[in-house]
Amino acid sequence: MTTPIIGFAGMTHLGLVSGVSASEKGFNVVCFDLDAARIAALVRHDLPVSEPQLNELTAKNVKRLKFTSAIADLSICDVIYVAPDVPTDVLGQSNLEPVNVLLGAVVAAARADAAVVLLSQVPPGFTRDWQRPGRVLYYQVETLIFGRAVERALYPERYIVGCADPTQPLPLAYQTFLTAHGCPILPMRYESAELAKISINMCLVASVSVANTLAELCEKIGAVWSEIVPALKLDKRIGQYAYLAPGLGIAGGNLERDLATVCNYADRHGTDAGVVRAWIANSCHRRDWTLRTLHRETLSRIDDPVIAVLGLAYKQDTHSTKSSPSLALLEHLKPFRVRVFDPVVPASAAPNPRCYAAKSELDACEGADALAVMTPWQQFSKLDPAKIAQRLRGRVVLDPYATLNVTACRAAGLDYLTLGARS
Amino acid sequence: MITHQNAQPQKPTRVVLLGARGFIGAAIRGQVEAQGIPAIALTSAELDLAEATAVDKLAALLKPSDAVVMLAALTPDKGRGIATLMKNLVMMQSVCAAIEKSGCAHLVYFSSDAVYDTAISRVTEDTPASPQDLYGAMHYTREIMARSLTKVPVLVLRPTLIYGLHDTHNSYGPNRFRRAAQKDGKITLFGGGEETRDHIHVDDVAALTVRCLLCKSTGTLNVATGVSKSFHELAELVAKQFDNSIEIIVTPRANPITQRHYGVTNLIKAFPDFRFIAPEDGIARVHKQMMEAA
Repeated sequence: MTTPIIGFAGMTHLGLVSGVSASEKGFNVVCFDLDAARIAALVRHDLPVSEPQLNELTAKNVKRLKFTSAIADLSICDVIYVAPDVPTDVLGQSNLEPVNVLLGAVVAAARADAAVVLLSQVPPGFTRDWQRPGRVLYYQVETLIFGRAVERALYPERYIVGCADPTQPLPLAYQTFLTAHGCPILPMRYESAELAKISINMCLVASVSVANTLAELCEKIGAVWSEIVPALKLDKRIGQYAYLAPGLGIAGGNLERDLATVCNYADRHGTDAGVVRAWIANSCHRRDWTLRTLHRETLSRIDDPVIAVLGLAYKQDTHSTKSSPSLALLEHLKPFRVRVFDPVVPASAAPNPRCYAAKSELDACEGADALAVMTPWQQFSKLDPAKIAQRLRGRVVLDPYATLNVTACRAAGLDYLTLGARS
Repeated sequence: MITHQNAQPQKPTRVVLLGARGFIGAAIRGQVEAQGIPAIALTSAELDLAEATAVDKLAALLKPSDAVVMLAALTPDKGRGIATLMKNLVMMQSVCAAIEKSGCAHLVYFSSDAVYDTAISRVTEDTPASPQDLYGAMHYTREIMARSLTKVPVLVLRPTLIYGLHDTHNSYGPNRFRRAAQKDGKITLFGGGEETRDHIHVDDVAALTVRCLLCKSTGTLNVATGVSKSFHELAELVAKQFDNSIEIIVTPRANPITQRHYGVTNLIKAFPDFRFIAPEDGIARVHKQMMEAA
């Protein structure tokens, strides 16, 4: 067959990254969104999200990318992905209304022989409820990672495809598109695929929870978690890519959504989700490590302290502040003066009335009693601790992710505190 | 977790303290008055909440603008049985009935960490209450009674072990240790004193209560420092205060070791600039007061 044309509906993070990556693989791609203003911005190459390579690949593949808000333009597509990001509330509960609206519109506009593939994050049972006679509908698991989304879309580890009947072959156009990525394709029932996505995330959360639980113990008994991690990664049952870096709880929205979904389903069906709730509690506990430590070291010791905060995004290489530990910290620093810097997120995102928008990392440190490095941006790791020490008024540096050079910090006379090691 | 109803601290027009004779009540009264807030401090001699007439007497005294701090309770040293439980519940019934009659602007109920299962080693406000004895059950029931006052903003404080000069219970820990050291020159521990507990100075309890009154805080808050020390460490701290050598005596262990730590993140979030009195400083302060009083 000729090279299939691929459509992507929903031009937020997931749809945009997936569409641009498909064009990089050599496919002509129709990028559709109901929001004409969003499309107009994309036509101007004014991208609403920040991801490594995304700008470059959008420019490079401009001839293969068609941005449109005319739904009729999807009629030329052989495969149409429905990929709006599903928003969540503070409890991780999904708002499925936008994906329902978009899916309805796409199903109505798609050619009868086109494969419609749902890529958004939906709960088990959602896809089967949308299955209609005569419509070829699939659910495909997305495993993009904020900050590495393009890389993950270009080089997926496998495709997990939810089908009405997994014994039937995939449509040729869909098969052709997936095969172009050179990875295993795993067809399964809709419900299995939907739960596979959640299962992946639960495994990640379990690993992170192990790391956080034992890192906290390290902080009390003199062990160093970073010394233990290599030993774990050499264990084949754990593996070199395991999520073992301690952090400030679970953030970003996606994992929280799946945690909430598992609890909701367990409550509904009477299965045991005690361990999942323990992961959630542990995440909340570790999120406040910086606040507790800052209180112990600075807030309870100095009158009217000034706190420098580097990083607002929930992780490096993203603009997203969803469940950001930095914003969670700043929420509780409202009575104090704060000096904030992030390479991407504006200081206006900080909820503090006494917030100074620093022009640089060192500007943020100027005259501060303590420094908290709340996002492990690569550029922060290049900071010279001696210069930080010169700018700070106090000596306390909280670096939960060990972004700075520990040895250099201590050599500069800083009181350095990080996760997984006693200060 | 607690919520401040006042965006900015604001003095209540008057504070009514019930159970003001105890050493916590006295400390709170002192700090309330130091803030320039008028206070009425009622002892059981002035108003016996277990009496049938208590409702009308208290209702006549209360104004809708008052903040009420309810500390009155028969503690385990006054009895651990069902009769004590029922009397304590009657006392709370009187308070609730009087408030329903006259209204008040804020109710602070002093509960206890006895509402938590003693087997749980780490406690936060999210830890489910699971009292193991009648005293804990009493406090938990009284919490629910307080919260049933739907028209009144209610704060429940659950203090950990409290120490201070005027402690009347002589409970195992810094209070008993310093008295024993002064009187006998020795401190006797249960086992090796391995158990860890969080002890808070009574002045910190009073200071936090005043802050909650100023902020008109509602919800539930554990009143603890977040630092637990073993009884052996505390005994050593107490012993260090004396010029003469204090013997610390360990005894054969009769009961299994239990630990108790508090997660105080919610307290820090509520009052991020609060400074706890460190155990070393608090024990030294109480020792100095004791010697001066002697």
